[in-house]
Amino acid sequence: MQEINYFGEHLWPGRLGHLSIIISFVFAILSAFAYARYTRGSSIERNWLKLGRLSFLVHGGSTILGIVTLFYIMLSRYYEYQYAWAHVSDDLPFAYIFSAFWEDQPGSFLLWSFWHIVLGCILLRKAGEWEAPVLTVIALLQAFIMSMLLGLYLLPDSDAFKIGYNPFMLLRDTMDAPLFANADYLQLITGKGLNPLLQNYWNTIHPPTLFLGFASVSVPFAYAMAGLMKRDYTTWIKPVLPWAMFSGSILGIGILMGSAWAYEALSFGGYWAWDPVENMSLVPWIVLVAGIHTNLIARHSGHSIRSTMVFYALALLMILFSTFLTRSGVLQDSSVHAFTELGLEWQLVLFILFFTIWFCWTYFRRYRSIPVKAEEEPTSSREFWMFIGSLVLLFSALLITFTTSIPVYNKLTDGLGWIIGSDLSGWHRSMPVDPVTHYNRYQFWIAVFIGLLSGFSIFLRYGRTLEVGALKRMLIRLSIQFGMASGMTILTWWWLDYSGWAFHILVLASWFGVIANLDYFFFFLRGRAKQAASTLSHAGFGIMIIGIIASGLKKQHISENRFAMEGLLGKEMIDRNVLLFKDAPLYIKGYEVTYVGDTLVGHTRTYEIEYVQRDSSGTVTDAFTVHPNILFDKDFKKQAASNPSTKRYLTRDVFSHIAGLPNEQADVESAKVKEDSLRYQEIRARVDSTVYLGTLSATVMGWVDSAAHPDYEPEPGDQVISAQIGLRDEDRDTMIICSPLIVLRDNLVYSYPAKVDRLGAKVRLNDAVFSGYLIQDDSLFYRPVELGPGESFDFAGYRMTLGGFDKSPEHRHFTPEEGDIAVAADLIITTGAPFAYSETLSPIFLIRKNQPYNIKSYSPATGIHARFVKLNPDTGKVTLWVSSQPGFDGLPVEIADNFAREDYIVLETILFPGINLFWLGAFLLMVGLGLGAWNRRMKMTIPG
Amino acid sequence: MKGMKKIYIIAGVLILAGIGLLISAAGDMSTYSTFRQAIQSGSKVKVVGQLAKDREIYYNPTEDANYFSFYVTDQEGDVRKVILRGAKPQDFELSEQIVVTGEMAGEEFLASELLMKCPSKYKDEEVFLQKES
Repeated sequence: MQEINYFGEHLWPGRLGHLSIIISFVFAILSAFAYARYTRGSSIERNWLKLGRLSFLVHGGSTILGIVTLFYIMLSRYYEYQYAWAHVSDDLPFAYIFSAFWEDQPGSFLLWSFWHIVLGCILLRKAGEWEAPVLTVIALLQAFIMSMLLGLYLLPDSDAFKIGYNPFMLLRDTMDAPLFANADYLQLITGKGLNPLLQNYWNTIHPPTLFLGFASVSVPFAYAMAGLMKRDYTTWIKPVLPWAMFSGSILGIGILMGSAWAYEALSFGGYWAWDPVENMSLVPWIVLVAGIHTNLIARHSGHSIRSTMVFYALALLMILFSTFLTRSGVLQDSSVHAFTELGLEWQLVLFILFFTIWFCWTYFRRYRSIPVKAEEEPTSSREFWMFIGSLVLLFSALLITFTTSIPVYNKLTDGLGWIIGSDLSGWHRSMPVDPVTHYNRYQFWIAVFIGLLSGFSIFLRYGRTLEVGALKRMLIRLSIQFGMASGMTILTWWWLDYSGWAFHILVLASWFGVIANLDYFFFFLRGRAKQAASTLSHAGFGIMIIGIIASGLKKQHISENRFAMEGLLGKEMIDRNVLLFKDAPLYIKGYEVTYVGDTLVGHTRTYEIEYVQRDSSGTVTDAFTVHPNILFDKDFKKQAASNPSTKRYLTRDVFSHIAGLPNEQADVESAKVKEDSLRYQEIRARVDSTVYLGTLSATVMGWVDSAAHPDYEPEPGDQVISAQIGLRDEDRDTMIICSPLIVLRDNLVYSYPAKVDRLGAKVRLNDAVFSGYLIQDDSLFYRPVELGPGESFDFAGYRMTLGGFDKSPEHRHFTPEEGDIAVAADLIITTGAPFAYSETLSPIFLIRKNQPYNIKSYSPATGIHARFVKLNPDTGKVTLWVSSQPGFDGLPVEIADNFAREDYIVLETILFPGINLFWLGAFLLMVGLGLGAWNRRMKMTIPG
Repeated sequence: MKGMKKIYIIAGVLILAGIGLLISAAGDMSTYSTFRQAIQSGSKVKVVGQLAKDREIYYNPTEDANYFSFYVTDQEGDVRKVILRGAKPQDFELSEQIVVTGEMAGEEFLASELLMKCPSKYKDEEVFLQKES
């Protein structure tokens, strides 16, 4: 193919960016290698340490340069780059450039590596003797992540051996399109922009937090590996703790932000759906928390060092597995929010395998030398029950992973089939048909366990058996706590009115956890907040579970109505949505719901929906308004996102979202189809009579030459006619007045029809309405009339009255000049009863530079032309010329009477009781972890 | 070592219970069925197929806001009408592969859940670019 010299491309940022990725990759390997050498060798070889550090800093600097470059490309809208073209657009606000940056895989890999670098730099300064081995691991992880962005092809012209996906690729290199034969193609393309669902502040804060969580899980793993590499199995136990707790806290907050986003901004109708992507961010967190518990055991009693290593390693491997699941495309059939695939599957598998094998190899080689305490863990010691708790957590993680991995089993089956040469796709399994029930069933008992364990184990001591007396006192205390928890359980039952004995057990266990931890906090810690980390977390857990039961079990569709489908006996289904016509209140579940109106600002149409609740006497007990909205795409062609709106109470949330719009409002295509299907019929509507069309009748009520219409944006020079047409259905008594609008702009006519939803009609003006303005005076027959103020005459069936004069007249064709004497005559045109039509024409008489002029006034509703030709100062009378438009038979109006109404929305409203308990509990859980990290950070005494 | 043994015993019990739970969890796993299998089994299944784009996609909220119907061609080429009790999802017409969860009701498939796989934005735009130029 012939080389083309393209115009306007900026090639240097791409080269710089790609180069920085390659440098970053090379120096990550170099850093890992040097740090590893230093770790293995004697401490004298400080040059290796220096090289390791320097390489890590070069790697970090280079990665950040790559990030800045990609950001620069997106910010500058260099659409010659595929990443910029696919993710930003000219109209994307600055705040969403970040969202666009991590919308796709390369950007999110960069985000992940950014946090590794930040954490790595802190470790480089603070980790002391642990710096070298810990950073060996971090640098190796970084090398793998950067390799995902390399974009190197081992074989020319073949995708088969591709390493990484380079985000700095030019658009013309990523696809073959005839467009690129044009050297000036950049003039023809524009960015595709960010998915409107992601144009949300949550997507600006959730991914960075989650990826900080992901990156921080690497640190405990790195410490565990460091202990194994250095054959120092005990000293890492202390410095790793704050890191692990920090990680648990941040990862947890990141996950919660994801649920808050799903709940608040997306229309999933809940905060947790057991979606595979959600699950796979939860699993590493659970395993990490199990590791934190065994770590605490190891710190206080010397037991469980091995388990801590395994848990921390498993947490990282689960992060890698989760990365694989979300980025390889295997979840495409089972999740609503997986990334699209980039062809990096094998590289991701290699990523997991490398760290799995490395850990297992090192761990089992050193297994025997890892110290195990000889003496037993007493059954009544705290560590014994903490260890059981960790196992229960591991269990929970395994169960979730087991089901979430179903797509992976299918891939493995395919692989096996390929080896043995037969099609095994018959063995494929799918996710459970009802995933929520499936997961809840198994996690239910785990939650019961955790609630009970977290309640009583806090009263036990590390490494100590309780004496009989202490045991007795403790049992009494626990009984009292149980009694209180039972009371709370009954209250909860009374509040939520659930059924099923198992729920009583879960609620009881949760309340027990909460009360026992509060008791411990007030009576043993005496309210010392600093030491309250674990009580805070555990009480938070209990509160969270109660919140989940309340909001999940008693979640209720206010908009539901039970429905038995015709001919399907027994197959009763729940209808979740209701149809709401504008201004027509609907009574559902004790609420009177009204769709009041909507307004369009930018690309967002916001709906106003009013809820009113009354008691039996009709007094309003509660009233509120919610504002869900619909976001349209940038060409207004399609509905792009539906954002819910939630009314929050302390004890419940009322969540509303628009589940559907009339098709013709949701997308332009349907609107066009509908418009084409309308049967417009032309009538001549007169001010003095009623015109019938089927069952409809129309009367002209008035007209103006300047008017508003929701879709019309005025421009200077527009000639506007807006008529008020009274429309009436024979069967109904009320008349509805609509205002179709027509505009003449640069010799083109634009029509803005008016919808009359309630009568199923649409009305527009015919462009013949302008003909009266274009007619020449010589084809009119003016009748001169002389009259004074208040005097009348009859003309063409109308009564004409001179109302008065206007000394500062306004007219489309009159621009006042210095020295003008201008006066307008107000000529009032009326009809007799029953129509009582009235309008005023204002022809102008003008003296400019001693020359008399006059400016005509015309009424398209009556067809009357009027001129004001003479002022007679002697008599106080004026001379007017009036003429009717030849052949005038009314205002040309077109009416379609087969217009299906579109002034409605389909609304889904869900009541979530007690949802704030969920947020409060989950928040306390993470705050407790963060507090634990903070306290231990203060205790860290490592020379920098 | 007596104490550790206790831990081992408890761990062993937990592992056994775990295996039991995993086996029972595996029972929840479903297979991707066809309409024919859905008729035979008479229970709730997941059917994977393609949206039959030449057939009617019907949603008229003014009639019933919770009735949405369309046709799906399953993997055996069997075309059936699918009824979803709910509103029509956004961008439905664009979807290629469809996974519906539900059961047969007479000649029709009554779906309680719908997962659609839309062509990636990227490919869509590639087609667009080729058309434009």
